[in-house]
Amino acid sequence: MTATSAFFERLAADCQDPRFRKVCGSVRFDIGDGDDLEQWFLVIDHGDMRVSRSGDPATTVIRVSVQVAEAMARGEVNGLAAITRGEIMVDGDLGLALRLGRLFPRAAEARRAAEPASGT
Amino acid sequence: MRDIPGTVSCIDGNTFLVSDASGDVHSSSATPVGLFAADTRYLSRWVLTVNGERMAALSVDDSQYYEVTFFVVPGGAVDYVEADVSAIRRRHIGPDLTESLTIFNYGQSVVDLDVRLEVEADFADIFEIKFDLHDKAGTRYTQVDANELLMGYRRGTYRREVVVSTSEPATIDPSGLRFAVHLEPGQQWTTRLQAAMRALRPDGVDLRDALRAQRPDESTLPDSVREWVAQAPTLDTDSAALQQVYHRSLVDLAALRFAPLSLGGAAVPAAGLPWFMTLFGRDSLLTCLQTLAVTPSLAPPTLRILASLQGARTDDVLEEDPGRILHELRYGESAAFEEQPHSPYYGTVDASPLFVVLLDEYERWSGDTTLVMELEQEARAALTWIDTYADLTSSGYVSYQKRNRATGLDNQCWKDSWDSISYVDGRLPGFPRATCETQGYAYDAKIRGARMARAFWGDPDLAERLESDAAALFDRFNRDFWLDDRGYYALALDHDGTPVDSLSSNIGHLLWSGIVPPERAARVVEHLMGPALFSGWGVRTFAEGQSRYNPLGYHNGTVWPFDNSFIAWGLRRYGFDSEAGRIAEGILSAATFFQGRLPEAFGGYDRGTTRYPVRYPTAGSPQAWSSGAPMLLLRTMLGIDPHDDHLAVNPALPAAFSRIALLDIPGRWGRVDAFARHRPDRPPSTHGIA
Repeated sequence: MTATSAFFERLAADCQDPRFRKVCGSVRFDIGDGDDLEQWFLVIDHGDMRVSRSGDPATTVIRVSVQVAEAMARGEVNGLAAITRGEIMVDGDLGLALRLGRLFPRAAEARRAAEPASGT
Repeated sequence: MRDIPGTVSCIDGNTFLVSDASGDVHSSSATPVGLFAADTRYLSRWVLTVNGERMAALSVDDSQYYEVTFFVVPGGAVDYVEADVSAIRRRHIGPDLTESLTIFNYGQSVVDLDVRLEVEADFADIFEIKFDLHDKAGTRYTQVDANELLMGYRRGTYRREVVVSTSEPATIDPSGLRFAVHLEPGQQWTTRLQAAMRALRPDGVDLRDALRAQRPDESTLPDSVREWVAQAPTLDTDSAALQQVYHRSLVDLAALRFAPLSLGGAAVPAAGLPWFMTLFGRDSLLTCLQTLAVTPSLAPPTLRILASLQGARTDDVLEEDPGRILHELRYGESAAFEEQPHSPYYGTVDASPLFVVLLDEYERWSGDTTLVMELEQEARAALTWIDTYADLTSSGYVSYQKRNRATGLDNQCWKDSWDSISYVDGRLPGFPRATCETQGYAYDAKIRGARMARAFWGDPDLAERLESDAAALFDRFNRDFWLDDRGYYALALDHDGTPVDSLSSNIGHLLWSGIVPPERAARVVEHLMGPALFSGWGVRTFAEGQSRYNPLGYHNGTVWPFDNSFIAWGLRRYGFDSEAGRIAEGILSAATFFQGRLPEAFGGYDRGTTRYPVRYPTAGSPQAWSSGAPMLLLRTMLGIDPHDDHLAVNPALPAAFSRIALLDIPGRWGRVDAFARHRPDRPPSTHGIA
């Protein structure tokens, strides 16, 4: 499984994040392009999260390459910097997109989280 | 706008152009001149010549911040008088730059002129200019078309372009535009130049299109400025100087408004020209606090954007923690490629408590409980940050120690230069450091957080805990920071708890926060108004007699108008009305020497010696919290303060002003007026009518 699908599947399993209690919106991630386009659809409704593979229109669309998506899922990407340098393209509500950054781990945390598991 | 000596600025939020008095941009290293947007220099050269000669300014009209008109003649000599040929450059800044160039022939004979505009774009990041760096990682490209010159810069997926176009035919080459102008006697010629700035995504979408949508044409900006001024209260006073500084500050606050792309058009204050044209947590929060009586519309978007970018994780480069409010947000190349940690950088110790303070103070003025509910989670997280992540020594104090060793800030309080925190003998303390004013802000945040928890969040338990924490902090602070033999509070605590014994302006903020017991206030005030700290214009950042004191030291002896406005507010809180008046009089008098525009800071020299405030060489101007300072000083002199649904007025006018009225002050009461005047039968100080 790619880090990206693991990330979204974890999100689907959690299905709730209190930090998004006051947030409503839909976000579609378009990863890669052409025949390799991979889409994830996230609906946030007052902190409830629903993840699907829909290609429906969303209030916010985030477009990234496969490599950048993987790096994001591994917690290696600063979202704001990546938007500024053109690696992440956001159409729609940029504020919502920036808030979504909180769902992604940071590399340091991801490493810390991984360490105990590898030690046992 | 002419505050870097000899330069003229044209501003619209974080887009601005700094040129010389003839309108030319001739950038040299480490000088922040040129056309900038979002921390990037799009034009580093913009030089007009006629028949090979540079132009000299006869006069400059910069009465509108977004528009400048230069009246120029060829030759460059100051005493040039026989100007048959003259020109007007009328410049307007919005999302893009437009400049209409008109050349006149008032001579008796036909002239054929070689009009040349030299253009260059170096795409320097503001930090490359600050640190004088020249090697760029990406590549520049140029494209010459029939009537436009495109200059670009590419580094991977990062692409910035500027397109210079002309309405009149020109010969275009990679370094500029050339016009052959034939003028009969009495004839004139005009071309309209435009420099369109683009921040391009790989798919060709321009990130700046959102700005253009907000400002569809040149007329949008004047309308919005008129509306801005019309919505603010009217100042009625017999002091022409005060009237000037009020109007100038109001307009400068308009000039510094910018709409971050993530906020859907709402405007927040950028911190200051030229180095700080972006969002700073501390600066924007303090500016909003200063201006609540005048321009309250700045506060909600500022709180919202800081909330939306509040720290959520732990990151040692950005110095991010959950709940921490950001220090600085940048959009330039160095932030984009994470060579500087500004996307965003969280290295500030006071923005988090000040976030809570502003949210509460804004509600007290506006009655906007919706915002207090909307930002409950973020305010709680900021309060938690104070007690957890900020308590680095487990001593119950908010302290700081940078985690980003390469590019982080040593000092994360408002005096953030490296040498701003020192002992009387000049030694620098170790880390972590806990500065005194930050403890005051934390105390105030707890008291205000308790009020919001009880009144709006339905959480009396949190309110009680915050109040008891605040009381404990009050006692602890007054035990550990108070230097009884000196009669003032230590500037900071060293890493081991030793008081850093310097005398500084920071103690004035403690009065504002209310962390000083009334019986100690008089001794603190004696120091603030004594000759070591008070220059006659205002309170110096650092007192004479401290080893590192220097009247031109950025945080070690200069006078900061914003600092003084909060000190004056604190003085009135403790009933030191005439002392607050002396500060108000001093700072507002200083403003007259700067044409009503208070700079970031000015020299700490004694007023009696110099008789004018000495310019600090690289002071930012306009600077948001300097423009906010007169607004807070007005609030302080009028003694206006919300009490439930009323605005209480308790004026204390210094002798220098005989009458001040602020009309139509907006708030939860609708709009009310506040009057202050000296009555002939009473000595000038504390009497007025509401």
